[in-house]
Amino acid sequence: MPHVTDYLQFVLAPQMLNGLALGVSVILVALGLTIIFGLLDVINMSHGEYYAIGAFGALALALAGVNYWLLIVLVPVLMVPLGVLVERFLIRRVYHGADRHVSTLLLTFGLALIFEDLLKIIFGPNTHRPENPIRGATEVLGVLIPTYRLFLIAIGAAVIVAVALVVYRTRLGAMVRAAAYDSNMAASLGVRIGWVYSGAFAFGVALAGLAGVLLAPVYSVFPTMGRDFILMAFTVVIVGGMGSIWGVVIAGIALTQVQAIASLIISPVWADPIVFGVMVLVLMFRPQGLFGRLGHA
Amino acid sequence: MRDRLEISMQANHGLFAALVTAGLIFGAVASATGDVFYLRLATEALILGGLALSVDILLGFTGLLSLGQALYFGIGAYVSALVLRAAPDFWLAIGAATGAALVAGIVGGLIANRVRGVYFALITFGMAQIVARVVYNTRELGASDGLIGVPVLEIPLGPVSFSADDPLGFFLLTFVIIGLLYGAVAYLLSTPFGRVIVALKANESRVPYLGYSAWAARMAAYVVAALVAGIAGALYPMLRGFVSPELMFFASSGNALIMVVVGGVGTLVGALYGAVVLTVLKSVIGSLTEHHLIVVGGIFIAAILFMPKGLMGLVRPAMMRWLLARAEARAPRSGAVRRTTQ
Repeated sequence: MPHVTDYLQFVLAPQMLNGLALGVSVILVALGLTIIFGLLDVINMSHGEYYAIGAFGALALALAGVNYWLLIVLVPVLMVPLGVLVERFLIRRVYHGADRHVSTLLLTFGLALIFEDLLKIIFGPNTHRPENPIRGATEVLGVLIPTYRLFLIAIGAAVIVAVALVVYRTRLGAMVRAAAYDSNMAASLGVRIGWVYSGAFAFGVALAGLAGVLLAPVYSVFPTMGRDFILMAFTVVIVGGMGSIWGVVIAGIALTQVQAIASLIISPVWADPIVFGVMVLVLMFRPQGLFGRLGHA
Repeated sequence: MRDRLEISMQANHGLFAALVTAGLIFGAVASATGDVFYLRLATEALILGGLALSVDILLGFTGLLSLGQALYFGIGAYVSALVLRAAPDFWLAIGAATGAALVAGIVGGLIANRVRGVYFALITFGMAQIVARVVYNTRELGASDGLIGVPVLEIPLGPVSFSADDPLGFFLLTFVIIGLLYGAVAYLLSTPFGRVIVALKANESRVPYLGYSAWAARMAAYVVAALVAGIAGALYPMLRGFVSPELMFFASSGNALIMVVVGGVGTLVGALYGAVVLTVLKSVIGSLTEHHLIVVGGIFIAAILFMPKGLMGLVRPAMMRWLLARAEARAPRSGAVRRTTQ
């Protein structure tokens, strides 16, 4: 049956590879989201805007002549102070209130509005398309795939492994997990909870910024780019389990594959409702998600 | 018997009376000067106020944060638009929208009330997204363009009849309907069953110990909120002549949330004040610059940080102290005033 193998090779495989490139990027954004929720219990509604800020930051610095490979390091580093400032001066103010889930969610939602408008004021409402740093295509299984997408999958996987190693195999990660499990106990054992919170929030923001840099050459850069992307990241975090790192990785890959393969069978516009449907079903029957929370497993 | 909830509701009614007075003066001035723009803007503010009222029923009284209340507003608006395009009849449109919101509210409530807290917020968000995307993709519902060409409606009210195109008439009608919704919700919350709903926010796990079903109370609050949003939504196409999927998007739900927080959570009337303030603000800033989000976001954050009781928090505590003192003066020895804390 040659047409079946042809279908697998020329239709399904490239689609799955594209899905994987998207999946890796979604995971980068969702990792920050899940760490912030797992540790601080904050639903960060402005997370998509950090992704957009990262992409626009890369765009601006690239125009100023900064080398693309340097940007991959520079932009996340520049995002750290922003994250620390937001955590210290805004989130911490309402963090100990009675209804902190609601108040932190509303606060970050307000921030998202401000960031989005700031990007519009600074860069204008138009769509930008940064230059692709790796042109050309590579043949994979007899199909040409843009080389940059392969690079994206590789570097994304490397970052994901690095994050997991830091969280699960270092002293710093142990402090973060301890603070997520029982912040009072961790504090009495000498963990500087305030810094762990700021650091984790800034780390999540930096990851979102990194995703922005990496995705800018693939998707266009526009002020509201965070909005659509964050929905997928939220879904991944919910399905994987709020606060779970492995959950995000597995759900991120699974859901983007579902989306990619579903787009072949039905119109792509229906892939989104299906993914959100999965999210609602998971929330209905297993609200804690597929995997346990940070610090609990 | 007077307790804090009743005093609090009296303060709300006082503030609502002030809003009605202001609205009537505004209506008289606007019609005297022949204004159309501000009358229609005020009507839109009241309609959006209905959506905000619906958010406040959940957030302010049961403590549940809905990020998808625009779903029911949108369902009301779409059903109303569909009915009006087929048969332009005011009561039929309102009735159909109410019925649709009731059914949708029961279905949505059965789904959303399985979970609590942040999961409730996310599940309501997810449900609204799904329906919004489905509407966005359905050509029969106008897809991304929405439904346009809703005919101008002739509204018969007993002996009189006026056109929805008449700015003052439709403003007053909207005011009456939103006022009835406000009154009905305030009445419901003051009934014994309403107290169970209020008890959910104070301490949900205690409610079953007192012999009440927390689930039934939560479900009732959810369905009532859906009805309020749906009826408010039904008025939208009568005012604007079209509906679009944007009505169901998160931006709409988020806007309603901003109105409630700026106006004052848990006051009902604060949602209406918040709607008026924000709609007027957006229109004024929007005429100067297209960057109104930054101002709205700034006000919103400032309200969360510095004014957690919203605009109503500026006047309500003083009103409540006065009402409490008056109630005590009227019944000095009976001990009828219970100073229970919420």
